[in-house]
Amino acid sequence: MRSWTIRVLTSVISFTVIFAVWQCASTLRWVNPVLLPPPSAIAPVAAALLVTGEFWGPLVQTLWLLAVGYAVACVSGVLVGLLVGRSERAYCLLEPLIEAIRPLPKPALVPIFFLFLGPGSAMKITMVSLAAFFPVLINTMQGVRGVDRVLLDTARTLGLSSFSLTSKIILPAALPLILSGMRVSLGLGLVLVILAEMLEADSGVGFQILDLQRSFQVKEMYSWIFVLAVAGVSLNSAFEWVEKRLTPWHSR
Amino acid sequence: MKCYARALSPGLRMMAGMAIGAWFCAHAAAQTPLRVTYLPTLDAVPMFMAMEKGYFKEEGVVVQATPSQGGAAAIPGLMGGAYDITFSNVVSTLLAQQQGFKLRVIAAGTKNDPSAKPVTGLLTRKADGIKSGKDFEGKSIAVNTRNGVIWLFARSWVKKTGGDPSKVMFKEVPFPQMGDALRNKQVDGIFTISPFADSATKEGDVVRAADPYTEVQPTADIGHFVTTEDFFQKNQEATRKFGRALRKGVQYVNANFKAPETQLLISTVTKLTPEIVATLPQMVMPERVYPEEYAKTMALMVDAGLLRSGVDLSSMIDPAQTK
Amino acid sequence: MSAASTMSRPDSTTAPAAQRTKRARSDWTRTRATGFMLIASLLVLWEISARWGWIVSENWPPVTQIAKALIEALSSGELSIALLATLYRVMLGFAIGSVVAVALGILLGRNRLADRLIRPPIEVLRTMPGPAILPPLILLLGVEEALKVTVVSLASFFPVFVNAYAAVRGTDSTLLNTARTFRLGRSVTLRRMLLPAALPSIMAGMRISISIALTVAVIAEMVSGASGVGYFLMSMQYAMRADVMYAAVALLAVVGYALNRIFVAVEGRVLFWRSR
Repeated sequence: MRSWTIRVLTSVISFTVIFAVWQCASTLRWVNPVLLPPPSAIAPVAAALLVTGEFWGPLVQTLWLLAVGYAVACVSGVLVGLLVGRSERAYCLLEPLIEAIRPLPKPALVPIFFLFLGPGSAMKITMVSLAAFFPVLINTMQGVRGVDRVLLDTARTLGLSSFSLTSKIILPAALPLILSGMRVSLGLGLVLVILAEMLEADSGVGFQILDLQRSFQVKEMYSWIFVLAVAGVSLNSAFEWVEKRLTPWHSR
Repeated sequence: MKCYARALSPGLRMMAGMAIGAWFCAHAAAQTPLRVTYLPTLDAVPMFMAMEKGYFKEEGVVVQATPSQGGAAAIPGLMGGAYDITFSNVVSTLLAQQQGFKLRVIAAGTKNDPSAKPVTGLLTRKADGIKSGKDFEGKSIAVNTRNGVIWLFARSWVKKTGGDPSKVMFKEVPFPQMGDALRNKQVDGIFTISPFADSATKEGDVVRAADPYTEVQPTADIGHFVTTEDFFQKNQEATRKFGRALRKGVQYVNANFKAPETQLLISTVTKLTPEIVATLPQMVMPERVYPEEYAKTMALMVDAGLLRSGVDLSSMIDPAQTK
Repeated sequence: MSAASTMSRPDSTTAPAAQRTKRARSDWTRTRATGFMLIASLLVLWEISARWGWIVSENWPPVTQIAKALIEALSSGELSIALLATLYRVMLGFAIGSVVAVALGILLGRNRLADRLIRPPIEVLRTMPGPAILPPLILLLGVEEALKVTVVSLASFFPVFVNAYAAVRGTDSTLLNTARTFRLGRSVTLRRMLLPAALPSIMAGMRISISIALTVAVIAEMVSGASGVGYFLMSMQYAMRADVMYAAVALLAVVGYALNRIFVAVEGRVLFWRSR
């Protein structure tokens, strides 16, 4: 109980100091206040945004795109990871292609996406899925590979079917690594959905931030960034909570 | 050396000293470069021509040019002090003014020319036969940035030709992707610019349905060079010199558009291949700023909801540029 | 636990050794050759679809045209100069980000108070998507070098920090107790015990960071650039020279792979005591 209050207290102190420095920097003109307004000027705008519920629409839009892309990435990442982790043939076939696509910056692939998918949700979801796919894939592969040989041999001795082997032995054993990969993918997916919304924009939080920057509505822009920060932290915390529930034996 | 100097009469010696001093002063003044950012398109060619022909040097101004990606991206850099002058468009500049960014227009940039072959165009698929704003209701038009100058004129055109802009979907698509989007039926119309417009209409399945700039505001001022009010007050003479030299560059380019040296410069600035440069229609650049055009554009912006109310134009434009 | 950053081969079957070797030599399907053949066939498909008009677009040039453009762009120096500019930013940003990350990781890992005070803002910043921080950074830093190096540093910072912090926190207490018993001073403990113990984790984090640094540098240049590969990509797009653009993308893939390999080699030398 006490350590929890200490943690909350120090967090509060920490952020208060940051906001205080920000306030001074802006009002004392260390930075151009037109470009970086003080928190006191941003707060009313942000409050209006929250109170009117205006932030819901774009936020839901962004989160929905993220959810779909993320789900596709996780499912395909685990499936391909299982395949490639178990079969050397599959690994040899797919690894060069995967290693070739992975380092490409996604915005460089926008012309190709546009050509096949056009403007709209499909393109954004694809960008999110493509980016989020790799960490899940790699971690699943590592997890599958790292399953204790003894477990595998025992299962074979007991005559377990391939399906049971996978679902009852391999997946649970690989779960910590898979979840770790999924956590990285979540962060990456959020980055990509915002990026995609900025590149091909019509709605969503990413578009809002970019549009407000382009029309120089700086206070509104920072308000949306605040909304995004809260969303990011919440998503992360939620994931960590789920992770703890699913793998209680795995201490961090 | 000494005997020569003593040979000169005191008067001559004084004049020599003054001449050398003046030369140093002029050189020192010319040494502080004006940091200018530009859009690497046709719009920047007059400035580079002025540099090549030495017009800036004649005025005693040194220009240091860096490419940027348009008003919205460059104005923050201007405000932050990274640049002295930037190329922008009327819409971005007015939006900035509204938000309290104090800017001053110090030279004209681009202007629509209703008599010349159009440089921009609203393209559609021939098979659809879309002709007016009303036809676009329930359909989509691609623009390069929402709430930008292209979007503004597309929207105003829809309204002018009998359509309700709120019933038209405006999608944001980068210029290079517009042709693909139209052909693949992902959008129904695209408001695009040269050279993309010319290359898209080559095959014949895509046609020019309209020329929104000419139909909405035929003589619209579109691009211009701006600086911060602060910089303008402190360096008025320097900005005026920039404007004068630029004007000479504009005159030269307008008169010699098809000349080989101009074509080569265009290719260097825009990175387009010489073959494509040869097909570009000539865009006559303006020599001065037309405040009445700004007022018209401002009205369009208010109508579109971009501006809450009018902005004081007289304090925004350098009077010397309106002549 | 940090995510792995490269793929590693699954084991061969558990057949007897002799049989395994014999099969491996003649079984070409178990080599990467199949993978390269897959890539090659996809490229052939691309070439055919472009040349036979299955897909008509300026943005879909034939592969052979892209290859030609790549050679031209590299030999004319245009692309090489852009690449150097990008690599400069990547190296600088990566260096700054990593150094700060290791320093902070050690500080926060050892000092409880600093940890409680400084980590919350870092965590918030970590979960913030980079592209969202870009617009305000553009407003504050303009579109010059400072912006790009800052963005790359920020992106490089987090993977290294997370690993350094975890490593320092998880340092074997035996090591620390031994140091204390021998009354080793703070700096010696740091240099001789903490850093070497944390080094494998830190290097793993750095390997992730270097790839991210390259990607982020290119993205920053695409959005607000005047030089570098990212800006080159965009300007080729707008100059309707998609073949050169794709050539640059291909070059990026190669450079990214090369950076990764170089780093693995460096890691092997630095962590010489580890058998890999």
